[in-house]
Amino acid sequence: MRILGISAHYHDSAAALLIDGVPVAAVQEERLSRRKNDAAFPLSAIEWCLDHAGLEPEQLDCVVFYERPALKFDRIVTTLLRSFPHSRRAYTKAMKNMLGEKLWVKGMISSELGVPGSKILFTEHHQSHAAAAFIAAPCERAAILTADGVGEWSTLTVGEGMKRSDGSVTIKLLRELRFPHSLGLFYSSFTAYLGFAVNEGEYKVMGLAAYGNPSRLDDVRKLISRTDDGAFALDLSYFDFHGSVESSYSKRFVELFGPPRSPYEPIDLETGEGQRFADIAASAQRVLEDVLVDLARDLQRETGLADLCLGGGVALNGVANARLLAESGFDRIFVPPAPGDAGCALGAALYADRIHFGQPHCAVPDHPFWGPTIDAGTLARLAKEDSLPNETIEDDRKLDMLAGELADGRVIGWMEGALEFGPRALGNRSILAAPHDAAMRDRLNRDIKYREEFRPFAPVVLREHADRFFLLPAGGPRLARFMSAVFPVRPEWRHRLAAVTHVDGTARVQVLDETMAPRLRKLIEAYGHRTGMPVLLNTSFNLAGEPIVNGAAEGYSTFRRSGIDLLVAGNVCVRKKHQSQQTQLEDVA
Amino acid sequence: MTTILRPFYRAVWADPGRRSRKLLQFAQVEADGGRDLVRAAELTSDPVLRRRFHAHARDEARHATLFRARGLALRSEHFVADADILDADWIAPGERGLDDLRVEDEDMVSLLAFIHLSESAAARDFALYRDVLDHDPLTRAVFDCILRDEEFHMRYSLSELERAAPGRTRRLLWKARFRRLWKAYLRLAMAFAGVMAGMVLTIQYFVLLLPFALLAKRAARRERPGWIVIEPKHENLRGQY
Repeated sequence: MRILGISAHYHDSAAALLIDGVPVAAVQEERLSRRKNDAAFPLSAIEWCLDHAGLEPEQLDCVVFYERPALKFDRIVTTLLRSFPHSRRAYTKAMKNMLGEKLWVKGMISSELGVPGSKILFTEHHQSHAAAAFIAAPCERAAILTADGVGEWSTLTVGEGMKRSDGSVTIKLLRELRFPHSLGLFYSSFTAYLGFAVNEGEYKVMGLAAYGNPSRLDDVRKLISRTDDGAFALDLSYFDFHGSVESSYSKRFVELFGPPRSPYEPIDLETGEGQRFADIAASAQRVLEDVLVDLARDLQRETGLADLCLGGGVALNGVANARLLAESGFDRIFVPPAPGDAGCALGAALYADRIHFGQPHCAVPDHPFWGPTIDAGTLARLAKEDSLPNETIEDDRKLDMLAGELADGRVIGWMEGALEFGPRALGNRSILAAPHDAAMRDRLNRDIKYREEFRPFAPVVLREHADRFFLLPAGGPRLARFMSAVFPVRPEWRHRLAAVTHVDGTARVQVLDETMAPRLRKLIEAYGHRTGMPVLLNTSFNLAGEPIVNGAAEGYSTFRRSGIDLLVAGNVCVRKKHQSQQTQLEDVA
Repeated sequence: MTTILRPFYRAVWADPGRRSRKLLQFAQVEADGGRDLVRAAELTSDPVLRRRFHAHARDEARHATLFRARGLALRSEHFVADADILDADWIAPGERGLDDLRVEDEDMVSLLAFIHLSESAAARDFALYRDVLDHDPLTRAVFDCILRDEEFHMRYSLSELERAAPGRTRRLLWKARFRRLWKAYLRLAMAFAGVMAGMVLTIQYFVLLLPFALLAKRAARRERPGWIVIEPKHENLRGQY
């Protein structure tokens, strides 16, 4: 069967194509449109997926949208009615928004792709998350926990999935929590309060939390209480996301925590004010973790299962994931490379294939590389046109040479094979550097990524050496496969891994085994031979405010605008001229 | 016209809070415009144009830094809060990026014509703002510095347009002017439609929704927080509800 999955209209839209039960293409719209977190209908992504497979839209057996728009509309209207008359402005905005476009998804898909309405299906938002987490995971039976801001009504679900020997697959969601009681929105309210963009700055809250003490736990716990049945409820008097368009937190929230941070003000952790924000971030992070651990522990006791599949945007919280692994009682936790809404495009397609059409299960390849492939020839042409030194070199010699450059402190833009699906650069569109000195971290933040100095960088390590440098629990390497958790760096290595060790001694490590990113693996091996440490700093290949690069042209322009020293695509390697020559070249053009 | 508007500009730029906010907004717009130019550089097959766009994008990034630094300095000097201040954007707009252009949908000559007109408009506006900032020499210096670049951008975009489309420059510039005018009309029409829709929906909200709101509130009071069991149901993926 040929099934196209689509997620769109809220944040991070995407398309994924499934043929005979196996993904053949998946890409986020932002990677093609070059607009960060592009929420538009993912026409470019759809076109790319179909072109990649050589299909016309009429050859599709069905198109699956990742949620039910009418049910979402029901939630929005009901919520606004409950906030009457406080919700007047939110009502007009929401109606214009929904009635203008978002409610008419079926017609939009039909008119854009030319497929009949009978071929268009809708899964529920959290079913899509659950399918992306469970069906793609290499396990037979697992508990499932999905958590995000909100889908239609659900904000968090728990359930169970099973892949039987006869090929049938079941996903049974047992219970749900409904809007407005949402862990995702709880965390996003703190994201907004701390002056970061919602749906984008949650990483920053997690990074900032490490600098703080959870001294405001009691205050944060006033916002979220535990219910008798083991769930939780938000005290809505502290929030405003359910009735306001201006703010997600209320005046009472500000009375409790003090004035919010202006997005324009930098965070200075040396000041009392900066420390206040860090403490609040630490407290919110701790409470989120506590609630998640409790929910997961209950689920483990109830199901008695060893494996847990996590989905939804909350599953991007690596600190919480590590605590879940340590404290929930599950032996293994699976988080897909795209647990957020983009991944729902793939989840919806998988759900339709296995559950709706009852197709027999076949293993989903365990990697995130479903996007467009890099064209090294384009990079060679661009560099030649700009008279930049470039060379085409054989693999072994290239990797040895690059390992030497890294050891000498150069920063490499690395493009290999197919683009990653999901928010993490996992070895095919990465910026690589030596992980040893804090100066490298500062240089990357200042000259290359142009981002806040408190944000950490991640290491990538070969699986067979991971335990030497990091304190990984059983199940840790699996969780670290897609950089889904934060683990301690062994104390004796922290000073030699200073560029990737966060202030609390942890790192969001990627553990690379032999089946994923083979060329990156060889490069790390070569680097290990030179330095004795097969570890590299691996951060996404983009600048602040931009999506991860896709093709050679984007990689090349990012290389030119930043302090990256070398750019590598396949066997082509481009070296930057001295900065003054570079500027001169542009000025005389 | 400029002389008539001068007192308005003076009033708009007099308040340090508003000045700060406007500069920070300009910083954002310059940064967005820079990204559009980077995209144009990525898409063009002409190496000279690519270098030009990269250089222009670098300037826009520098302008963003200048505007932002000055905006932040004004904020801290005058303890500006994030409270709502009338920004008067309709009187004193910024550069407007490339007018919400979708770079990938444009051919390069149209894009160059657009850049030329956009930079001309920005240079004209920034010159006016500079002239009413006698009381704030530091902000005035920022505009001075950026104006020099804008003039260069006007010149290079025009010369590149002449190179790319010899003999068609005037026609392309007029076409771009009409498109800008059309876009301005669309913006106005959208804004008007938005106001009308807002009024209708507000009336609907207070007149029609009250009884439903009471029912919804009553239902909400009966709901208990906590888990809701998901009942097994026959899956129907065809419905949107």
